[in-house]
Amino acid sequence: MMELEVDENDLKAAGAELFVDGGRRGIRINGWVIETRRHSILNSSTLQEWEQNLDTSHLPEMVFGENTLILKHLSSGTNIHFNAFDALRGWKQEALPPVEVPAAAKWKFRSKPSQQVILDYDYTFTTPYCGSGTMEIDKDPNEGERETSKETSDIHWEDCKDQIDVVALASKEPILFYDEVVLYEDELADNGVSLLTVKVRVMPSSWFLLLQFWLRVDGVLIRLRETRMHCVFGGNTNPIILRESCWRESTFQDLSAKGHPFDSGAYGDPSFISQKLPIIMHKTQKLVISS
Amino acid sequence: MSSSSDLDRQIEQLKRCEPLKESEVKALCLKAMEILVEESNVQRVDAPVTICGDIHGQFYDMKELFKVGGDCPKTNYLFLGDFVDRGFYSVETFLLLLALKVRYPDRITLIRGNHESRQITQVYGFYDECLRKYGSVNVWRYCTDIFDYLSLSALIENKIFSVHGGLSPAISTLDQIRTIDRKQEVPHDGAMCDLLWSDPEDIVDNWGLSPRGAGYLFGGSVVTSFNHSNNIDYICRAHQLVMEGYKWMFNNQIVTVWSAPNYCYRCGNVAAILELDGNLNKQFRVFEAAPQESRGTPAKKPAPDYFL
Repeated sequence: MMELEVDENDLKAAGAELFVDGGRRGIRINGWVIETRRHSILNSSTLQEWEQNLDTSHLPEMVFGENTLILKHLSSGTNIHFNAFDALRGWKQEALPPVEVPAAAKWKFRSKPSQQVILDYDYTFTTPYCGSGTMEIDKDPNEGERETSKETSDIHWEDCKDQIDVVALASKEPILFYDEVVLYEDELADNGVSLLTVKVRVMPSSWFLLLQFWLRVDGVLIRLRETRMHCVFGGNTNPIILRESCWRESTFQDLSAKGHPFDSGAYGDPSFISQKLPIIMHKTQKLVISS
Repeated sequence: MSSSSDLDRQIEQLKRCEPLKESEVKALCLKAMEILVEESNVQRVDAPVTICGDIHGQFYDMKELFKVGGDCPKTNYLFLGDFVDRGFYSVETFLLLLALKVRYPDRITLIRGNHESRQITQVYGFYDECLRKYGSVNVWRYCTDIFDYLSLSALIENKIFSVHGGLSPAISTLDQIRTIDRKQEVPHDGAMCDLLWSDPEDIVDNWGLSPRGAGYLFGGSVVTSFNHSNNIDYICRAHQLVMEGYKWMFNNQIVTVWSAPNYCYRCGNVAAILELDGNLNKQFRVFEAAPQESRGTPAKKPAPDYFL
């Protein structure tokens, strides 16, 4: 993949430095190291290991198990990261009931073969995952692979009423680093799409990321679960990270009743419809980083 | 009526990933229909033959496949469907395969995948691609009419059964497949649907129903019974992404072959084709995606996306 073209002068002015190292690429800026890693999907044997570790018989068809976004705040040892394994652990724990596809209505009337088994896992792979976080005692930024751990056990997010400054983010400040990482995807056996991605952009004044779970069950349901994080670089004060989580969802029937297309082909990606989906849940939290 | 020289020119043009004129597509499809209408639902194929799985519009990767397997007609090919959708070049991919079918009808066999469907192609890319490249949906109509004429399965030397998806509880013998009226849109249920949509499932021994409420899953006992009843050595199918290009299941009674490397241009998987020699000895030829420089368009640079 070709590198995003970044103006060297913008980097210098921000005191930032880009790096590329094997499959890793990233930026050092204002006491943060922000990096992404992108690789192939897991092979069959690793997938089997993951199935055992997650106690499941099925995983998404395309698990980008080595893909990750990592944001390290060096002086405090704070580490926020995103990976497929923790996201799938969230999926397994939540275990939503399966969503029926339109043809299911017809299939109820098919003659059943003897000894038919009905599988009942959540094939949409919907996850409540909002990211993983750890507090490193060892502050060595060159440390290799780390053990992941549950976000709640090491980092404390507290509920708050603050909101992410969308106006500031909408201004066209130069982007010093940008990447999008796929964590997993499933084609729902050609009945739609389930896709978990995280995007990050780093500007001279702040970093901003969007973790997005996008589900379309053709003819049935559209679901979006999004987590946004924003951190304004604060100079000498302790950084504060805002995290907004939002769950939006609608059936095709309800969308159609509001005048939106019923055709699944119209929803190739969520951008067209995302703001029009009703909000099921919305929450804002903040993380105050102490050095 | 196309002459051989017209066809050869069209094939050379398509090999350069240049689509045909709409009128040429129409004529090609009419000729293809005449050939395909004569084929059986269980089309007989002679060995040696090379079996290919899903392509999904990845034209340059299909060219890589032909480098590995050899050009048609020197190599006899069997493609197991899903030529279109998802990739960027479904038009050129399908038309090249169709032109080769018309030019060398006994040296390439095309069977139907679940994506060779009006309903599916309207959602997953082929329809939009036809509209973008031709400015109307006529080519999409010509092609989807041809889809209805594609065979449902193939039988190699009476010993190897090939199908896109898998088995059906409504089918225990090959003769039951032969009686299906295939010249229709892929139905949402029934035997024809199952042949194009079903999947093998490790944790099921007989039949399973997908958690979607539609879609059969079949286990090892079903395959054993089908292979035994029909005196089949094994089943070769496609339909599911396999990171290593191919995957055996149920004590080598069924194999999935996947032929779209770096699927969706990001999975990084390898792909495979299955070469069978005159004595049905097997060799999987594994290959990678075509290198960037052999693709027509330059790699897209990630735009600085001011996402919110």
